[in-house]
Amino acid sequence: MRKTFLAQNPSVLWFMAALALFTIMVTLMSEATGVGLISTSFVKTLGKTLCLCLIALAMDVVWGYCGILSLGHFAFFGIGGYAIGMWLMYARTEAIILPNLAAQTIPPTPQEVSDAIGNQIFGVVGSSEFPLLWAFADNLYIQLLMVVLVPGLLALVFGWLAFRSRVTGVYLSILTQAMTLALSLYLFQNDSGLRGNNGLSGLQNIPGFEATPQATISILFFIASAMALALGYLFFAWVISGKMGSVVQGIRDNEARVRFLGYHVESYKLFIFTVTAIVSGIAGALYYPQAGIINPGEIAPIASIYLAVWVAIGGRGRLYGAVIGAAFVSLVSSWFTGGGAPDINLGFYTIQWTDWWLVLLGFSFVAVTLFFPKGIGGLFDYLVRKPS
Amino acid sequence: MRRIFLAVAILLGTALAAPAQTVQEILQTHADEVAKPSRKSVGVVLEDLIASGLPQVPVFLEAWSAKNIWQSPEGTFFFANKSGDTLALSDIDTGAESSAPDDGFKQLKPNGGVRRVIGTALVQFQLSDPDPARRADALTSISRKPEASQLTPLLASIEGDPDPDLKARKIQLANFLSARFAEAPDDRIAAIESLSKDTSVEARSVLNQILTVKSGVAKELPDVNIARTIDPTETPNVFYAQLVEAELAPPVTPPAAIRAALEQNIADGRVADIPVAQLSTQDERNRAYARLAKDGQVPQLVTQVYRDAALSEHVFYEVYDETDADITAAAETALASVETRVGYAQTVDLALDGLSLASIYFLAAIGLAITFGVMGVINMAHGEFIMMGAYTGYVVQLFIPDYTISILVALPLAFAITFGAGVTMERLVIRHLYHRPLETLLATFGISIALQQLAKNIFGTQARPLTSPEWLDGALVFSDVIQISYIRIAIFVLALLFLALILFVLKRTRLGLEVRAVTQNPGMAASMGINPDRINMMTFGLGSGIAGIAGVAIGLYAKVTSEMGSDYIVQSFMTVVVGGVGNVWGTLAGASMIGFLQKGIEWLNPSNTLAAQTYMILFIILFIQFRPKGIVALKGRAAAD
Amino acid sequence: MSMLLEVSGVTVSFDGFRAINNLSINFAEAELRAIIGPNGAGKTTFMDIVTGKTKPDEGSVIWGEKNMSLLGMSESQIAMEGIGRKFQKPTVFEAQTVRQNLAMALKNPRGPFTVLMHKKTKSNAERIETIAAEIGLLDSLTRTAGELSHGQKQWLEIGMLLAQDPRLLLVDEPAAGMTVEEREKTTDILKRAAETRAVVVVEHDMEFVRRLDCKVTVLHEGSVLAEGSLDHVTSDQTVIDVYLGRGHV
Repeated sequence: MRKTFLAQNPSVLWFMAALALFTIMVTLMSEATGVGLISTSFVKTLGKTLCLCLIALAMDVVWGYCGILSLGHFAFFGIGGYAIGMWLMYARTEAIILPNLAAQTIPPTPQEVSDAIGNQIFGVVGSSEFPLLWAFADNLYIQLLMVVLVPGLLALVFGWLAFRSRVTGVYLSILTQAMTLALSLYLFQNDSGLRGNNGLSGLQNIPGFEATPQATISILFFIASAMALALGYLFFAWVISGKMGSVVQGIRDNEARVRFLGYHVESYKLFIFTVTAIVSGIAGALYYPQAGIINPGEIAPIASIYLAVWVAIGGRGRLYGAVIGAAFVSLVSSWFTGGGAPDINLGFYTIQWTDWWLVLLGFSFVAVTLFFPKGIGGLFDYLVRKPS
Repeated sequence: MRRIFLAVAILLGTALAAPAQTVQEILQTHADEVAKPSRKSVGVVLEDLIASGLPQVPVFLEAWSAKNIWQSPEGTFFFANKSGDTLALSDIDTGAESSAPDDGFKQLKPNGGVRRVIGTALVQFQLSDPDPARRADALTSISRKPEASQLTPLLASIEGDPDPDLKARKIQLANFLSARFAEAPDDRIAAIESLSKDTSVEARSVLNQILTVKSGVAKELPDVNIARTIDPTETPNVFYAQLVEAELAPPVTPPAAIRAALEQNIADGRVADIPVAQLSTQDERNRAYARLAKDGQVPQLVTQVYRDAALSEHVFYEVYDETDADITAAAETALASVETRVGYAQTVDLALDGLSLASIYFLAAIGLAITFGVMGVINMAHGEFIMMGAYTGYVVQLFIPDYTISILVALPLAFAITFGAGVTMERLVIRHLYHRPLETLLATFGISIALQQLAKNIFGTQARPLTSPEWLDGALVFSDVIQISYIRIAIFVLALLFLALILFVLKRTRLGLEVRAVTQNPGMAASMGINPDRINMMTFGLGSGIAGIAGVAIGLYAKVTSEMGSDYIVQSFMTVVVGGVGNVWGTLAGASMIGFLQKGIEWLNPSNTLAAQTYMILFIILFIQFRPKGIVALKGRAAAD
Repeated sequence: MSMLLEVSGVTVSFDGFRAINNLSINFAEAELRAIIGPNGAGKTTFMDIVTGKTKPDEGSVIWGEKNMSLLGMSESQIAMEGIGRKFQKPTVFEAQTVRQNLAMALKNPRGPFTVLMHKKTKSNAERIETIAAEIGLLDSLTRTAGELSHGQKQWLEIGMLLAQDPRLLLVDEPAAGMTVEEREKTTDILKRAAETRAVVVVEHDMEFVRRLDCKVTVLHEGSVLAEGSLDHVTSDQTVIDVYLGRGHV
């Protein structure tokens, strides 16, 4: 089966090969191997970009294939980040606090340890007590489970409610947007238990690897992100290749018809919505240790809309399109906003791209929607398939 | 009440009948107290002065308080003004003027405490002052610092006051004072009962002052005016602290103190024979501490068991400062009744708040509802049109300094500009994306981020002011509880105007007829000579233009920033969706529901608007589950297609 | 004779307009039936009710030998019970191949996880080919459905219905927009299908109905006006008045 599946989908093989080559090249040229052609910070940018590609894949499956324009998938991404961030922050704070306490004349009680860590973490929001949310923050495995479980459960409940009452189209988009807005507003509160608008920080320091240089850590995360992307790509390519893909695309094109064929459309939507939410959570859990900080602003509704922009520009309804879109737009975006692009002097006015990039992006997005509905991926059609 | 007036009037009448003297004579009687007054001694002087009923008394008192009284070497008191080395003197009783070198003269400098006492005495004169402004001042000073001594003069001054407003105020203040300070308990109770209908902050504070309590703790409940007894078990530590403060129990030993005590008693790596390494649990530490305590090296450990036992042996209560139980009971009843009334008033106030919020949401959403309902187009840039309107207002104010005129100019100008922007957008972008609603959503989102960044580049990131005309400042005050600012009333009126205008356009004009025709059956409408292109363009322009006007209105009370649009866009969408698409009444219903709901939730959880918004969105998500088509849903086959 | 589907006393109204008014109609196993009626007679609404898209205000819809009520069941459950529906406009999945279209419709477990783990089998492939041969699309299995002609799309949709292996087939205006030869072929397909199951054809076109040569039910204003052979109903005076008279003058 696997053989036939890959044989039927040569683009998957091509993609895997390209990704592997890219990963090896970056690894070899990074500071971790001593070559240093690619700086550690750029390796981090690339690693983060791969995570964004992974969530873009999820977005493509849910929107491009299943027709659900979710404007809330970044909420799942953020939840994944928070789940892993809680462990990172707890474990690292513990690693700093414990030696201090141990240096005192009397060994600390568990309560003193907990108070000291709590004070360190929640001091910024005027508290020192651990909220219930953090009950398992000391356990990496449980938090890793949360990365998958919490987005999955949230998507399951939300999706069940929404699909059951046949909320579709634009309504569903707005509802998902409301969901992510509610979540980010909630997290902005100081008493949310997740440090309000301070978010979680210092996530780039991996407990247990204090001695390892960031150059190595960054390349390890880069490789992990690449592998996650590869696995995600394989998984989604498999999901959408067979009969499941037929049904799902059928739902996108004519939901009522699929229903009269006897398929319980809601279950399929729920399945796709939940699975993509879980993948988004995993992408987030890989992204934020590389970003170093997560705060509620990250899951504001605008982030999820950008996600849709990436997929649309890359070309939806094809997996590699989503990856290209996410990589292209986010890298170009950081080139422009990071001051990489040269200013244009018009004599009477100097266009500084840090100010004007969003204007350019906004209008080019309109142009893509109008003139290239297939996105960048559509260009590949001309290259791969000869016009018949 | 009347009984009290009479009694006081008689009292004052007898005082006024005292034998006539001169002020100087009275002052000489108490020369020492006048020259070196203290808060205690000054009372006698004031009593005699007031009892004399002489017209110069208030004049003297004011001068005394203002340090304008000098005493001659012979001991006579004068009004005096010092210039250089000479004093311009005038006689206290006759006003006869003279002058003298200042040698030997002494200026009277009463200290602050004394001046306050004099001031209180003065109030009774000011209360009957012919100048209404001074009477009002006196009343203000009474209400700021009510004292028992003010009651009698205040009551006396009520009858003769010609000004009905001041008279009413005097009666009210007299009531407040009687409630707290009247001699006879019956008078107080009568006054207290009369307050049970007064919802003003002042009246409530009077009642609360009567009801002030002190908390106490004792072995047995003492025989005093007890307000309530308290169960200490809910927050045992707080109450134990109270026990400690009352010196009825030894202080708790907090873990940190135990730790410190243990650290001080380490000997050879052991504390009381327990190895230091074992002291990593609180139980073990307590055991070590107990051993130390047994040896008398540290005070006894207060354990939880000990604490709870101590708490159960004592009774915790609150006792009224007021000793008369009848009075406190009356005040409690009155306060309860006042609070019920305040509750009603707050509900009304809350409803007004909800109404004004609903108006804002309605204004923000109605344009969107038109484009969404008529054309099925989701315009993510709607929020940016609101922003454009607000910035139009700001720019107009840069050129027209008169705020009234500038707003009158800004409203139509904002409409024109956003109408133009809307039409341009419809022609260039949206026209090509009909029947692809999700892509329209994304394309308009692209426009939205571009416009937002453009605004940021032009106007900067800081908030710009859009100032309302002066006549919109302030608030319409119904009572201390119910008030609403004029701006919000203006927005409400604007919302009503727009509701009427849109209903008129849709129901009574050719354009409205054509719009409805295109909404219901575009093909048929086109075959009857209606140009759907033109209708779509006009509709989109109209929706955008209204957003511009909403922007001016919103800018008047909120900040004008490049991001203000995104603050309203999600709420606007939810208003439209909750209300039901394609129906003006639906939008009205949606705006009302969201506005009132948000205020209601904020009221339940006043500390936190973020939480209120979160809960509201959750509620809306649930609401959509049960009414996916909104409050006002179209039924039948038309709705299904 | 026990009935496959019994619709009795069904009424449904939209905003006060009674689309279906106390309608009672029965279908036997292995029966071919045509339903005719002027616009607004309630033909489509009737199909909506049977397939679960619209819930009636009153009345009952009883299905099969177990006398199961279809009211309260979802569209997909009803479809799984064995009621297939073809829409007026051909609705095939144009982005997918003919084979994929048929495979999706093939009678197999419909749960998402079984579908996800679904493997192609020889028996399924044979069934698909049999149906493709039946509808004359055997040569077009690998073509995208969007490339088919209008008539072929109609057949594909009928083929998808057959693949569902339903016991009752509801077909809405199958002959609309077809050439004469295509109509003949459609008639044949439907007649053959009716040998093993009930087929209900909603149709405007009298010629086509005549060619079907079956029992005819005339709907008018949401209830049954007449029932019998085509010759019988066309000679009925009330039918002539409300439908034929109006439609053919």
